[in-house]
Amino acid sequence: MMSHSKLAEIFNKDEAKVNWHDKALWYVREKRDTAAHHVKGWEYLRDLASGIKANVLSNLDNYLVEFEKNAQSNGIEVHWASNAEEHNKIVYKILTQNNATKVVKSKSMLTEECHLNPYLESKGIEVIDTDLGERIVQLAKEPPSHIVLPAIHKTKEEIDVLFQEHLGTKPSNGDPQYLTNEARKHLRDKFLNADVALTGVNFAIAETGGFVVCTNEGNADMGVHLSKVHIACMGIEKIIPREEHLGVFLRLLARSATGQPITTYSSHFNKPAPGNAIHIVIVDNGRTEQLSREDFRSSLSCIRCGACMNTCPIYRRSGGFSYNATIPGPIGSILSPGMDMKKHSSLPFASTLCGSCSNVCPVKINIHEQLYKWRQIITKEQKQPLIKKTILKITGMVLGRPKLYAVLGISVRWMLKYAPRFMVYSKLNAWGKSREFPKVENGNFDQWYKNRKNNG
Amino acid sequence: MKVGLFIPCYINQLYPKVGIATLELLEKLGVEVYYPTGQTCCGQPLGNSGYEEDAKGACQIFVENFKEYDYIVGPSGSCIHHIKEHFDILEQTEAVKNVRKNSYELCEFIVNILGKTNLGASFPYKVGLHKSCHGLRGLKLGSCSERMDDYYSTEEELLKEVKGIELMSLTRKDECCGFGGTFSVFEEAISVKMGKDRIQDHLDNGVEVITGADHSCLMHLDGLINRNNQPLRVMHIAEILNSCI
Amino acid sequence: MGKSSILKSIKENKPTLISLPEIDVNSFEETINLVETFKKNVESVGGNIKELGQIQDLDLEIKNRYPNAKRIFSQISESVLGNVQISEQTKPKDLENLDLAILKGVFGVAENGAIWISDEQFSIRILPFITNDLVLILQKKDLCQHMHHAYKMIANRTRTFGLFISGPSKTADIEQCLVIGAQGAMSLTIFLI
Ligand code: SF4
Repeated sequence: MMSHSKLAEIFNKDEAKVNWHDKALWYVREKRDTAAHHVKGWEYLRDLASGIKANVLSNLDNYLVEFEKNAQSNGIEVHWASNAEEHNKIVYKILTQNNATKVVKSKSMLTEECHLNPYLESKGIEVIDTDLGERIVQLAKEPPSHIVLPAIHKTKEEIDVLFQEHLGTKPSNGDPQYLTNEARKHLRDKFLNADVALTGVNFAIAETGGFVVCTNEGNADMGVHLSKVHIACMGIEKIIPREEHLGVFLRLLARSATGQPITTYSSHFNKPAPGNAIHIVIVDNGRTEQLSREDFRSSLSCIRCGACMNTCPIYRRSGGFSYNATIPGPIGSILSPGMDMKKHSSLPFASTLCGSCSNVCPVKINIHEQLYKWRQIITKEQKQPLIKKTILKITGMVLGRPKLYAVLGISVRWMLKYAPRFMVYSKLNAWGKSREFPKVENGNFDQWYKNRKNNG
Repeated sequence: MKVGLFIPCYINQLYPKVGIATLELLEKLGVEVYYPTGQTCCGQPLGNSGYEEDAKGACQIFVENFKEYDYIVGPSGSCIHHIKEHFDILEQTEAVKNVRKNSYELCEFIVNILGKTNLGASFPYKVGLHKSCHGLRGLKLGSCSERMDDYYSTEEELLKEVKGIELMSLTRKDECCGFGGTFSVFEEAISVKMGKDRIQDHLDNGVEVITGADHSCLMHLDGLINRNNQPLRVMHIAEILNSCI
Repeated sequence: MGKSSILKSIKENKPTLISLPEIDVNSFEETINLVETFKKNVESVGGNIKELGQIQDLDLEIKNRYPNAKRIFSQISESVLGNVQISEQTKPKDLENLDLAILKGVFGVAENGAIWISDEQFSIRILPFITNDLVLILQKKDLCQHMHHAYKMIANRTRTFGLFISGPSKTADIEQCLVIGAQGAMSLTIFLI
């Protein structure tokens, strides 16, 4: 299992691609800024969103029960899954009950997290991701590298080649218009022949038992309204108390995500169409455990806008795959260790703690502070590289002893000044690979101060 | 007003002239400054690496050194931020609480406590301000590009009054430089790339001298500039505010 | 089994109750020209918008804009262009080749150019998505400033299916290049009366 730093280093071998990736995401971040500037009371809106989500987490069980009751009275079937396996089984059972073999699916990070696609495919079900970006990565047999822009790591030329191979398109030098149109035709066919449509849930409203799904492409609605059966999968944290709260969240979501004032389609589902069925699968899969961690529970407030990824100077330069997690970037780095600390132990260190993520986050999750907190836990609970551990332990010891520190400080300075270059810039020394050390001056501040006259 | 001068470990050892400029500047402004001996470090490198527990000794020494003073002033935003934010690992005695409350980064001390912006400096160069993250987003030395607040910048208020200076504006106003303490070695590739990109932004905008209120970021940028022989210098903001050229 | 164990686990792990903030809508009020703001935002999300002096001009305008539309559904009594009928027997797939749908919008939201429509207007839910092009008719008086007002306006509806629709379907999934016309309608034209 490679660490984030190793994968980032590999990604950085192609600097032109890094620049390209960084620019593409920075462009989205700038669009977000412009959109937010147009909203009077933006920061208050974030406060509200954060406050509503905090209330949700503190009353989650009651809201879920209220939601279920209201959904059921509207003819929606509600299922509960403790983990990914249960979730997948429930979905499969609904499919078999409806003799379904063809499924169209719109974006749902939850089903990614549960690895639903491979599970269903192993049962002989055809699952087609219908969001264009997701379809692209599905054809490329890759996971999404970003939660809102799944194929952001792919150039248009790469997509061109991919479509030629899988959709029989003509070479177009990566003409986005042409490629999108070909995908439209291809997906149209899939929509018309699907048995069941699967979607995620952006917000589920306790008060009404309804839920909202947001897309730009219209793919969720194309799937749902052409199929007899709609299965919507949601994590327990997607609940909001009242419908009026959508006013807050829909104002924030698209602006934070892509800089649009709202997504093209914000569809409100309350009742199945006559003769059709809606199923909702409510999933825990580690969320209640995260709820138990006081320092980390607010990570469950995430509305999956992706803004923290777009702004993250590391994500932009290391790419989504360097995180090796369903949810990459800053938010992924505080969620993933809660799922599997060993596997994801390098992620909280993949940050300078610059805090930009917490500032863009529409629900004000203190992401960078949680990264800091995970670090304290991981160094205790996970085996650390011996060198790193020893150095830092000794540093702590020295810094606690002023006299020893004074002696060592002087010797480090002596080293930097007089040791031969090959010793200072050895392979073991990551600082010096691409950077010079500071030029050491005669004497340190302590000595200068001591020698100065008339000190106070 | 008794002010304790806090000179962070790396400035003490590697950049004494930054410490000197800080002290001289404060004295010039008529402040009664003391420099407690036996200072080591605020413990930030350990905390950021996940070894907060091992930093308790350093934090304790810090409190012992500075508990007497009305204000504690240091030329490094990230260290001050660490004291304010992460000394919560110590038992919150009156001394600890006071030290946390009274610690100030140099610029915010001058502007907000002394209420001065024109310090009589002159520095006839094209200067780019690097807004270090812990100072900006942690200590709120300025408004940051992510938030929709009214614009302000403590460092710019000071720099604007410097005679002859030309403050250049950057394409990315406040992006991180990639230093991040031990991040700079454990995530070497990204750290270096981030630093290079920051430097390029300054170069593209005609900057001659990069300055900032946190010398750790500047050390990282300086290391890259020197390795790549780029036509730029770095100077701590105290050095600029203390110069009469 | 899932339900009770999930609820039990939440009960054990949740923090003490944090109160729900009230939304102070006054913080968001601005004096803006609703029509102008709405028009600007519709255009920014890729929609077309035109003010009509009188509803009688509607069909002419539509014909100008969509000269090749053959299979047309209209819900508006003022338009005679409709030639596709929808009944209880109509299946969603039957609309596969629909060229144009002309529907009434309930109200518009100035801040984002969105229009609320619900299946009280279109008896078959796939309609506004599957149609190649979409025309929405909106009364100028039916505009509100922002989403907080919008949710007040739909608070007492019969809840079945409804949506805010803002511009034509679109994607930027290929190198962030905006392409209008993804899986839903290829264009959206709004006539303000
Ligand atoms: S953590 Fe915040 S910024 Fe990141 S995806 Fe979630 S809601 Fe968006």
